[in-house]
Amino acid sequence: MHDLLLTLGFGLVTASILALSAVAFTLEYGVTNVANLSHGEILTVGAYAAFVVHRLTGNAIIDAVAAALAGGLLALAVHWAVVDRFIRRGAASLTVFIATLGVSFAIQYTLAIIFGSSNVAYTISQGAPHQVGPFLWTRTGITIIVSALAITAMLYAIISRTRFGKALRAVSQNRELAGVSGIDAHLVAAATWFLAGLVAGYAGFVLAETIGTFSPTFGFGFFLITLTAAVAGGLGRAFSTLAGAVIVGIVLEFTGAYISASYNLAFAFAILAIIILVRPRGLFTSARRTVFE
Amino acid sequence: MIQYLTSVLTEGAIFGIMALGLNVIWGWSGDFDLAYYGYVAFGAYMTLVLTIGPPTAPGAEYILGLTLPYPLAVLAAVVAASLLGLVVGLIALRHLRGIYFSIVTLGAVYVLYVMAGQFVPLFDGFNGVSGLTDPMGDLLGLDYQTYQYFFLGLCAVLLVLVYLLMSRLSSSRFGLALRTLREDERASAAFGRDIYRMKLKAYVFAAAIGGFGGALFAAYLGAFNPSAWSPIEVIVLYAAVLVGGRGNIRGVVLGVFLMIVLVFESTRFLPDIPNHPSVALNLREIVIGVVLVLFLRFRPQGILPERRTVDRMPVTPSPAPSDSVAGAQAVS
Repeated sequence: MHDLLLTLGFGLVTASILALSAVAFTLEYGVTNVANLSHGEILTVGAYAAFVVHRLTGNAIIDAVAAALAGGLLALAVHWAVVDRFIRRGAASLTVFIATLGVSFAIQYTLAIIFGSSNVAYTISQGAPHQVGPFLWTRTGITIIVSALAITAMLYAIISRTRFGKALRAVSQNRELAGVSGIDAHLVAAATWFLAGLVAGYAGFVLAETIGTFSPTFGFGFFLITLTAAVAGGLGRAFSTLAGAVIVGIVLEFTGAYISASYNLAFAFAILAIIILVRPRGLFTSARRTVFE
Repeated sequence: MIQYLTSVLTEGAIFGIMALGLNVIWGWSGDFDLAYYGYVAFGAYMTLVLTIGPPTAPGAEYILGLTLPYPLAVLAAVVAASLLGLVVGLIALRHLRGIYFSIVTLGAVYVLYVMAGQFVPLFDGFNGVSGLTDPMGDLLGLDYQTYQYFFLGLCAVLLVLVYLLMSRLSSSRFGLALRTLREDERASAAFGRDIYRMKLKAYVFAAAIGGFGGALFAAYLGAFNPSAWSPIEVIVLYAAVLVGGRGNIRGVVLGVFLMIVLVFESTRFLPDIPNHPSVALNLREIVIGVVLVLFLRFRPQGILPERRTVDRMPVTPSPAPSDSVAGAQAVS
């Protein structure tokens, strides 16, 4: 029972990171209808930004800010330089999807040239483990969970309470109609990608902090799990994505603890395949599936 | 120089075969399949474990470990790759299209990649399998240098054969029917096409060609392990198909020679930068990513666009030939 709770505790930390990454991915998808295959690279760039800044300042909070900013700027750049240009030309969403794979490739290998393709060590003291209720968490673990909750609450407030959030929802529901109503859809999409990039960059920082080492392919590996969480929640549905992330995070922690962590990716995709086949619109929707998903 | 050129051209011919296989899925059937490199890798692994004999190194283990003659092993590898393609296709093609199809195939190939890399009894995990040197060389009594020429010739002939096969397929009823699926699945279904079966057939056929390319690649490399491939390398093949002309087999071959031979080999002559040993290698991957984006944006039809097919049976007032009969023939 004790082991079970310990695993559940670690699972919640994984789930928090996954939730941040998946919500950001879903926001990107929501406003542009593009599944961004270079999403993982936002996390990677965030992690490298934290790594560089850490060598200069040695302060974890500045690292976090740097990671978020780097992520935000990268997402904005990808949106401006690639995604928006395709959308303006009316490209099919599958075409943009393929293009983002090219972007992902280019970023990964640019990082490999700058930082080398082997792992770099990023070690921040995790703090002593604290007993919180039945769980055992390090200070870092607690910070991650609390910050993930805070960021999600903030996103929720932005999306549901502000004018910008209203515009965001309008664009994600119907881009043309939003445009006709006087909303600058491109601007809203760019701002949303920037926001999502901030969150994903921060997710890259906390992931790097938890794992301790990373390489240019770091984000892509985590992206594959993010994809599972996002699809489990329902692509483009920001808050059911959270539930998807919690489920996937905890399941992975358990399979990792009781079977083997080496197979995590395989398990994640087994879950993904089952969900897509049984409920392609996500676990928490009632819509019937069609042949033309 | 001659030796170097031989090696480059052999690699080009092998990649040409792989790209022609991918073109069946992406060019004609119209699906963005991310699992394709998995069939190549599976074909390569299977060829090796069927030819190199049981493991000798201490601690090494892998399945089969037979010593079949190379051509027989190639055949078996092709069958194995198509079976794998059948399993993935059965699952992924049933209801899924667009990005959902891509995501599931991405998942499938990562499951294979993780299994090959982590599950040691399969293909010896991270060490991979090795030891296939100059298959059929002994039999023909060739020395090392002559063998390289022989293998280049073999791959070139096989590329031509695959090309001819594809060219026949391209203008066959099945090839034409596949393109109707790409253009408009609903309309095609309305004309009585069995979409699922046709897509599946094309997919399994493509997987077989991929496995065939992998079997040749195994002989070219002599060894295969997880650090020698990554599922996402399929992007190189996509770039080749896209640049040359998606759906046009002449374009695909051109694309392979432009992307793989030119881009790969031109970066080899870049000056070395101290402390950054693999800049050239990384740079070529960046070029491939950028070229993919630029072509998608500015010339999605490629250098040699697919020619639109002309209706060979224009509608006449006389009773039109029944389309459903044609469809049934094409599917069967």
